[in-house]
Amino acid sequence: MSDDSVPLMFPFSRLATDSSEATVLYGELRKPLLRYLVCLGLSPDEAQDVVQDAFLSLHQHLTAGGSQENLRGWLFRVAHNQARNRQSSYDRRYGVPLEADIDPVVEEATPERVVLEKEKFRELGKAIRLLTESERECLLLRAGGLRYREIGEVMGIPTSTVADTVERAIKNLAEKCNG
Amino acid sequence: MGEHAERLVAWLDHELAENEAAAVERHVQGCAECQSEVEDYQRVSRAFDAYCEAAMSRQARRRVPRWIPVMSGAAAAAAVVLLLMFPRATMGPPQLHPPAATVPTAVVSESRSAETNATKPIKRIRRRPAVALVQTQATIWTPTEPAIQIAIPAEAMFPPGAVPEGVSFNADLSIGADGSVQRLRLQPRLAGFERRPNQP
Repeated sequence: MSDDSVPLMFPFSRLATDSSEATVLYGELRKPLLRYLVCLGLSPDEAQDVVQDAFLSLHQHLTAGGSQENLRGWLFRVAHNQARNRQSSYDRRYGVPLEADIDPVVEEATPERVVLEKEKFRELGKAIRLLTESERECLLLRAGGLRYREIGEVMGIPTSTVADTVERAIKNLAEKCNG
Repeated sequence: MGEHAERLVAWLDHELAENEAAAVERHVQGCAECQSEVEDYQRVSRAFDAYCEAAMSRQARRRVPRWIPVMSGAAAAAAVVLLLMFPRATMGPPQLHPPAATVPTAVVSESRSAETNATKPIKRIRRRPAVALVQTQATIWTPTEPAIQIAIPAEAMFPPGAVPEGVSFNADLSIGADGSVQRLRLQPRLAGFERRPNQP
C-alpha cells in the first residue's frame, strides 16, 4: 500500500466495533460538533471532514490505550484545534454563519409570529456579533453541552474565567435582546 | 439582587458547588428581580441554541445545489469501485466493432467537401481511436475472483465535491476472521495515468 492512499470515510460504528463508548459518543456528539464547527465558520463539508477526523483520532486514541477520561472535552478540543488549523476557513467565521438574516424555526407560525421571530433573530444576530471572540466560543461550546471545566480545557483557559465569560456574555445578550 | 446576581447563569448551568447553589436558590425564591433575570437568561440561552441550529440548517440548505454537479463524479467513483470489486461480473469481453460502422457520416461530409472543394479547403476531422481505447482497458483490467463482494454507495463514502471528475479508487480490504472489516483504504488513481514500472 502506498503512502498516498486515503483513509476511507466509513461509518464510524464499523470502525469502533471494539469501542462501544466511542460509538455512543458518535451518536451523541456528532451533531453538536457539526453545529459548533459550522457556527465557528467552517463550511458543512469542512465540518464533516473535521468531525470524521476527530472521531478517527478518538478511535486511534482508544485503541492505543489512551485515557478514557472526559472524552467529550477531548473530542471538542481535537475538533477545535483542527478548525483553527484550517485558518483560511476559520478567518471567515462570524461572517457567514452568524449573519443577521437567519430564519428562525417557528412551529405553528402565524405570519405575525414569523415576522416577530425574524425581528428577534436579527437582534440576536447583531448582539452575537458584538460579543468578543472568547465570549462567542464559550457560548458555542456551552450550547454543545460542555461543562465549564471542559470549555476551559478546549480553550485553554481556567474554569473560573469560563464562568465569568459565560455570565458576562449571557447578560450582554439578554440586555440587548430583552431590553 | 446582591452578590448572588453575579452567579445566576452559573447556577442555571448547575456549575456551582452544592452549598453555593443552595444559597443562590434560596435567594432567587425570595427575589422577584432575580427571578425575572433568570427567565431572561433562560430565554436568551434557548434563543442562542436556536440561532446556532438555524445557522447549521441554513448552511445545509445552501449545500444542496452543490450536490448536483458532483453527483456525476460521485456516481462514477462508485461505479469504478464496484468495477474494481467485481471485475468478472461486470466486465464482459469487450464488444469490438469495426470503425467502419461510423464511416457513413464521414463519407457524406467528404462528398460535400468535394463539391465545395473549389471554394473551401477540406476540413479534416480527427477521430478518437475508439477501438484502441477499449483494447487498452481490456489489458488494464485483469479479472480476479473477489473473495467477498461489497457494494458501497459513493455518497456513503465521500462528502460532496470530494471526488473530482476523472479520479477513481482502488479498494484495499482486510477482512477479519469474524467477517468484519479490519482495514479499508482507497488508493486514488487518475484516469488515463498508469504508474510506470520501476526503472532498472
